[in-house]
Amino acid sequence: MAVAGFAALSLAVVLTACGGGGDSGSGGEADGVITINWSSEPPSLDPGLATDTTSSNVLGNIMDGLITLEGEDLTPTPALAESWDIEGNTVTFHLSNEGRWTNGDPVTAEDFEYSWKRTISPDLAADYAYQFDGIVGATDYNSCEKNCDAMRDKVGVEAVDDRTLRVELTSPQPWFIQQVAHTSFLPVNRSAVEQFGNKWTEASNIVTNGPFKLARWDHNSRLDLVKWDEWRDADSVSLQRVNGRMITEGTTAVQAFEAGELDETGALGGLPPEELPRLQGTPEYEQSPSLGTYYYGINVDNVPDVNQRRAMALAIDRQSIIDNVAQAGQLPASGFTPEGMPGFDAINPNSEWLPASGDMERAKQLMEQVQNPVKDITLVINDAPGHREIAVAVQDMWSDLGIDVEIQQQEWAQFLEALGPPPAKTTDAYRLGWIGDFVDAFNFLELWRCDSGNNNTNYCNKDYDALVAQARNTPDDNERYDLYAQMERIMFGPDGDVPLIPIYFYTNVSLQKESIKDTFTQDLLDQIDLTKVVEGDGSGAEASG
Amino acid sequence: MTTFVLRRLVWTVPVILLVILLTFLLMRQIEGNPFRTSERAIPESIQQNLEEKYGLDDPWYVQYLRYVKGVFTLDLGPSLVLRNRDVNDIVREHFPPSLELGALAMLFALVFGVPLGMLSALRANTFFDYGAMFVSNVGFAIPSFLVATLLIYFFALEWGDIFGLPTSGWDTWQSKVLPTIALGLGPMAYFARLTRGSMLETMQQDYIRTARAKGLRWRRVVVVHTLRNSLIPVVTAAGPILGFLITGSFIIEQIFAIPGIGRYYVTAVTGRDYSVVMGLTVLLALIVIVANLVVDILYGFLDPRTRDARA
Repeated sequence: MAVAGFAALSLAVVLTACGGGGDSGSGGEADGVITINWSSEPPSLDPGLATDTTSSNVLGNIMDGLITLEGEDLTPTPALAESWDIEGNTVTFHLSNEGRWTNGDPVTAEDFEYSWKRTISPDLAADYAYQFDGIVGATDYNSCEKNCDAMRDKVGVEAVDDRTLRVELTSPQPWFIQQVAHTSFLPVNRSAVEQFGNKWTEASNIVTNGPFKLARWDHNSRLDLVKWDEWRDADSVSLQRVNGRMITEGTTAVQAFEAGELDETGALGGLPPEELPRLQGTPEYEQSPSLGTYYYGINVDNVPDVNQRRAMALAIDRQSIIDNVAQAGQLPASGFTPEGMPGFDAINPNSEWLPASGDMERAKQLMEQVQNPVKDITLVINDAPGHREIAVAVQDMWSDLGIDVEIQQQEWAQFLEALGPPPAKTTDAYRLGWIGDFVDAFNFLELWRCDSGNNNTNYCNKDYDALVAQARNTPDDNERYDLYAQMERIMFGPDGDVPLIPIYFYTNVSLQKESIKDTFTQDLLDQIDLTKVVEGDGSGAEASG
Repeated sequence: MTTFVLRRLVWTVPVILLVILLTFLLMRQIEGNPFRTSERAIPESIQQNLEEKYGLDDPWYVQYLRYVKGVFTLDLGPSLVLRNRDVNDIVREHFPPSLELGALAMLFALVFGVPLGMLSALRANTFFDYGAMFVSNVGFAIPSFLVATLLIYFFALEWGDIFGLPTSGWDTWQSKVLPTIALGLGPMAYFARLTRGSMLETMQQDYIRTARAKGLRWRRVVVVHTLRNSLIPVVTAAGPILGFLITGSFIIEQIFAIPGIGRYYVTAVTGRDYSVVMGLTVLLALIVIVANLVVDILYGFLDPRTRDARA
């Protein structure tokens, strides 16, 4: 079924021969049933506990939040909240009366107050409790030792009535509305949580309020969704059922797709790098930008001379790494804030230290100015596929500067320990990526504050921190983008400190059947909206081919 | 015999205690934080909440004793990484596929390996023998992940129309064919070599010559006198191999997307999910103990001398 023109013919053969594959793909006829690959087991379907992309993708399709992000620029759009007002530090959401739980109960503002406070509570011990840190009293309640009930009442989330939710923020935080689209802000059903405790997310127990219901969840194997006809906007949903597999191995996913068992290979899992050149020419290949930056951090205590860091940045030929190693059409990074971010053009420093194809001549000149160059660099990477190949390329590029790079590859948990912060003394440079949680450059640039838990470089610049604090209180988009641009300049401008070296902006790649390819999209935050997917017959492609 | 079995069962208790202690201490020696699963840092206060919730802030001996108590009351505790699941759930749901896969692979290995070795021995140094041993050498040498990938490529993709086997999964009987072969091929080759060598050695024994001199039929000599005695090394090896097939099929489970325990074991170690690692290690230890016990009992049937020595 790989060649469009022969699809119908070979389909008949496969269908007659395929005795055992009960749900092997949807076969091509538009019956509203597709089979996708979730790529892995979602660690938790509790909105309070979910922290990863697989879980948030399932949740985004079975739960209905206050707002959703629409369009290419991810504009906040009413969902359960019909509208919202912002007055200073107060945000008020006005809920629609069409929200229903699958048990028949209406979705109310109290549900949101309960859910958010539950996630903030120290008892749930949620990793993402910090998503609520911008709300008055949230941090205090989360870290309370005693009088927790009193502190709970002081958290700035209040259901004024069934359909009005008022939130008090610690500062204006213009990105808060964006943030409310995050999984952590989805509601949970109180009665289900109280009845089933920790097991409320199992398929037999869960109560949801979104466009799809959880029809089946065989752990580490299958997770199927079925359209919920009573959802407030059910008429707009075309798919009847989404069967989901959990094939982690990229090669197997490609083989399952080619055997017709899958309608898409799992955008979250990517494609095996060694298969990319072969697959890129096929009509099923799909590539979309992702809001993420792949970078090399430098321990500035170990490599203190800014000219050496600039030289190391200049020596890296990003385009060559993308073309020859990463191979998924990524964009060379010319700053830390990724392309696609609102205000990107204003924020991006187009850094002279980060030219797409590098500048070895200038790098060598700079390196000569370094008083005490550090000639032995330990580069720490984790052992997931692909990182080693990039590290070897960088090793080769830096060796032209006379730097001897030792690549230390570690398994994930140990790797994170080596990063800190503060980083281990032996860590001179490390690879890492940052994928956006919400659509504002703050989510990226805030990382490089002196005491940020994600700043593993020992870099600390008070001017930078002052700009971060100022951005928190700047509601006007353009004024804020200007602050972000200043932050980027502190790091990557002509006088930039270059504490890290952005390599590329991420893309997502997958294979998708031509029948769904037009409507099966993954947004910048890697979310798949199954309500938008319409199964065509792929005839357009056949006619043209 | 009963005393023997009972004594062996009683011995499992200190063995399990030791296994728990060693795993417990070793797991805590390696760096890593079970609560930090992504590159995102966890704020101090949230880390504290988590440690408190899962009792990781207690002294190590308190944690150890709590765990031992859990094991003997059949409560293996909650997973630290999969926040809505207990280790008991994981064992209950994911051990059966692994057990089934291991048993099927074992069956495959025995059903094809032993006769292949036997026929090779009976036709020693013929083309059949050379061919069979070549195949089993290759089967033994190729790593299972390569076998798996090749099997999928040919039987699910290239000739998928003919065989109709799916690439992955674990629900229909068709989906179980390729993983069984991929996992069983190595042990099959091993059993074939073991049987062949052992048969050849047994056929040199005096009692075989006696049996033949008595004028017994060749078939009877082979089946009753030679094969039975030749199987002792095979049975010896079968115990540990069965244990390995049930618990060590991580790669096969990963490639074929089988919801077995092997995948959990490896991800738990890399994710520092202490309670899952501990629970599965205890389970693994039990399987190996039981497999070895079964082997020892089988010995008694195959070789009466060992039975007498233990009585």
